[in-house]
Amino acid sequence: MTTRSIRFRLTVWYAGLLAGLLILFGFSVDIGLRHYLEWKLREALSQQAKQIGEAWLGDVGVSGESYVAEEINERFSPRVSNRFVRITRADGAVMYLSDEPENKGFDPSRVSPLKSQADRESLREEHLTADSELMVFAMPFSAKDGGRYVIEVGASNQEIERALHGLLLAIGIGLPAMVAIAIAGGYLLMRRALRPVDEITQSAERITSRNLSERLPVARTGDELERLSVGLNRMIARLDESFQHVNRFSADASHELRTPLTILRGELEAAAQQEQITPELRETLGSALEETERLSRIVESLMAISRLDAGEARVELAHFDLAELTSSTTEQMRLLAEDKGIALRCEAERQVRVEGDRARLKQVIVNLVDNAIKYTPAGGLVGVKVCATNGRAALEVNDNGVGIPPEALPNIFERFYRVDKARSRQMGGAGLGLSIVKAIVTAHGGQVKVESVEGRGSRFLVELPVAGKASE
Amino acid sequence: MRLLLIEDEEKVSRFIVKGLTAERFAVDVVADGNRGLELAQTYSYDLIILDLMLPGLSGTEALRLVRRQNERVPVLVLTARDAINDKVQHFELGADDYLTKPFAFAELLVRVKALLRRGAVSRANTLRVADLEIDRLTQQVRRGGQRIELTGKEYGLLEYLMTNAGRVLSRTMIIEHVWDQSFDGATNIVDVYVRHLRNKIDDPFERKLIRTVRGVGYAIGGEECL
Repeated sequence: MTTRSIRFRLTVWYAGLLAGLLILFGFSVDIGLRHYLEWKLREALSQQAKQIGEAWLGDVGVSGESYVAEEINERFSPRVSNRFVRITRADGAVMYLSDEPENKGFDPSRVSPLKSQADRESLREEHLTADSELMVFAMPFSAKDGGRYVIEVGASNQEIERALHGLLLAIGIGLPAMVAIAIAGGYLLMRRALRPVDEITQSAERITSRNLSERLPVARTGDELERLSVGLNRMIARLDESFQHVNRFSADASHELRTPLTILRGELEAAAQQEQITPELRETLGSALEETERLSRIVESLMAISRLDAGEARVELAHFDLAELTSSTTEQMRLLAEDKGIALRCEAERQVRVEGDRARLKQVIVNLVDNAIKYTPAGGLVGVKVCATNGRAALEVNDNGVGIPPEALPNIFERFYRVDKARSRQMGGAGLGLSIVKAIVTAHGGQVKVESVEGRGSRFLVELPVAGKASE
Repeated sequence: MRLLLIEDEEKVSRFIVKGLTAERFAVDVVADGNRGLELAQTYSYDLIILDLMLPGLSGTEALRLVRRQNERVPVLVLTARDAINDKVQHFELGADDYLTKPFAFAELLVRVKALLRRGAVSRANTLRVADLEIDRLTQQVRRGGQRIELTGKEYGLLEYLMTNAGRVLSRTMIIEHVWDQSFDGATNIVDVYVRHLRNKIDDPFERKLIRTVRGVGYAIGGEECL
C-alpha cells in the first residue's frame, strides 16, 4: 500500500476528520456536564441553606442556639451527608460549625472565616487541599426575633470531578477505538469500491502493441468506473485500428512491390545472360541485378516484420534445445569468422529447452552472430553463450569489435536505423536485421537487450521463456 | 515438353516464356483464369505454372478444378503471397511446388526441371564437369585423377552446382539448398564457401570451372569456361 494511493489518502482524511469531530464533541460534553453538575450542586446547597434557616434558625429566639445546633446535627446530620454547615452571627462570631465529615473530604475548621456580613446570596470555592475544592453557598438570614445570621452550606466538588473524570476516561478509550473501527471500515469499503480500478490497471498493463485486440473488463455498474473502462476501451480500439493500418500498409506496400521487382529481375537476368553483350554492359546489368536483389531482400524483411507484428510468428511451434540449435548454427558460421581472422567461441553445453519456431529462432542466432562478425576487426573474438537463469533461457552474443556509440543504442532495433551509414551499406545490410531479431524475440514472449562500449565491443542478450516441464 | 503458363502480368509472362523457350520448352500463355482452366482441361500439358491472383477465375479455384479432373499434371504455383498459411493451403489443394515473387528465373527453371524429372529416378552416381568428377555414393572428389578433400558443406555446395552444371544458381537457391532459409539475408556465407571451394578445385589448375555471374550467382561449367 502506498501512501499516495487514493485508498490511503481518503481513509486518512476520513479518520482525521472523524477524530477531530469526536474530540470536539467530547470537550463540549465535558464542559456542558460540568456546568450542569455545578448548577445542580448550587441548587441543592441553596435549598439546604433555606431549609436550615426556615426549620430551625427562624425560631432561635425561642428555642435557643444550642437546641438549634443539636437539631441541625441530628436531623440534618452534615457529618453523614458530607456537608459543611456554618452559621455566623452578625457580629462575626460563629454560632454553629459542623464536624469533620465521615469521608474526611475536608476540614471544616480550615474554611476561612467570613470577612464581612454578606447581604446577598453568594457561591464561592474554597481551596482546602491540592486536589479538592469546597463549594460554599452563603445566604443572609433574619430570624423571627430580628437577629441577623449568615448560613453557609458547603460540599466538596470531588463527586463532580469524579463524574467528569469518568466521562473523560470513557471518551479517551472510546475515541481511539472508534477511529480505529472507522479506519478499518473505511479502508475495506474503499478497497471494495476501488477493486475495479486495480483490475482495469492490471488488464491495461497486459495490453501492448501485440495484443491490441484485447479489451479491458467492463463492470456493468453504471458508475464512473464503468465509464472509465469504456472510455479506455474505445481508446484501445482506436490504437488497434491505427496499428493495423500501419501494418496493413507495410504488408500491402511490400506486396505491391513484388510484381515490378519480379519483372525487373527477370528482364535483367535475361539480358545479362545474352552472349553477345559487351563486358561493360554485363557489369552494368550485374550491378543493377545486385541492387534489385537488395531491394527484394528489403521487401522480404519488411513483409516478415509486419507479419511478425501481426502475430503470425509462431506458426510452427516446437519444443527444442536452444543450446543445441545455437552450437550447430554457430558451427555452420565458423568459416565466416575464420575467413575474417576472428575467433568464434560457443559455450552451450547444458540443455536449455524452449518452445517456439525453430527456423525463426535460428534466424535470430544467425543475424546476431553475423552482425558480431561484421563489426569485429581481424584478430577479434566473438563469443556465444546459452544458459538458463531464473526460469529464462538466455542467449548471449558478445564481441570485442567496434561497439555502438551510446547515442545510437536506443535506436538500433528500429527499422532502417544504421549506426554508421556509409559502412553498413557497404556491407550490404539494410538496417533491418536487428528489427527482425527483435520482432521474432518479442513474438516469442522474450526480450532482447544490448550493452555496448564504443571501441570495446558489444553484448546482445536474448531472453526467452523456458518451455514448460509438462511437455518434455 | 509443353507447358501452360497462367499469369496475368504481361511482362512477367514475357520473360518467363522467353527463358523457357530458350530452354526448348513449348509454352502456352493465358492471362485469364477461366481461359487457363479451359486450356488445362482440353490439352495434356506436362506442367502448369499458375499465378494466384488472376482476373476471372482465381488461381486457387483454378487449381481446385484442375485437380478434380487431372491428378497427375504437376502444378507450380507462382505468387506474391508468401504467408505460410497460403503455402499450406495450396499444397493441400494439390500444388506440387510454390515459388514466391520476386524470384530468380534460374530458380524457376531448376524447379520446373525438377518437377518434370520427378518419378523418373535417373540420379547418376557420378557427376562430371570437364576433368572434375564426384562420386555421390562415396562423396569422393577428383580432378584430373587427383583426389581433393572437401568439408561437408563444401561438398554439398559442389554437388548442388554440379547437378545443375552449366546453369547459374542464385545465392538464395544455394542457401536454401545447402544451408537453410535462416541464412538468407545479409550473410555472405555463400561467397565465403565458394571462395574456399575455388581454392581447392580451381586454384591448382589452369582451367577454372566455377564462374561468377555478377548479380545472378554462381555456376560450374558452361560455355564461357569450356
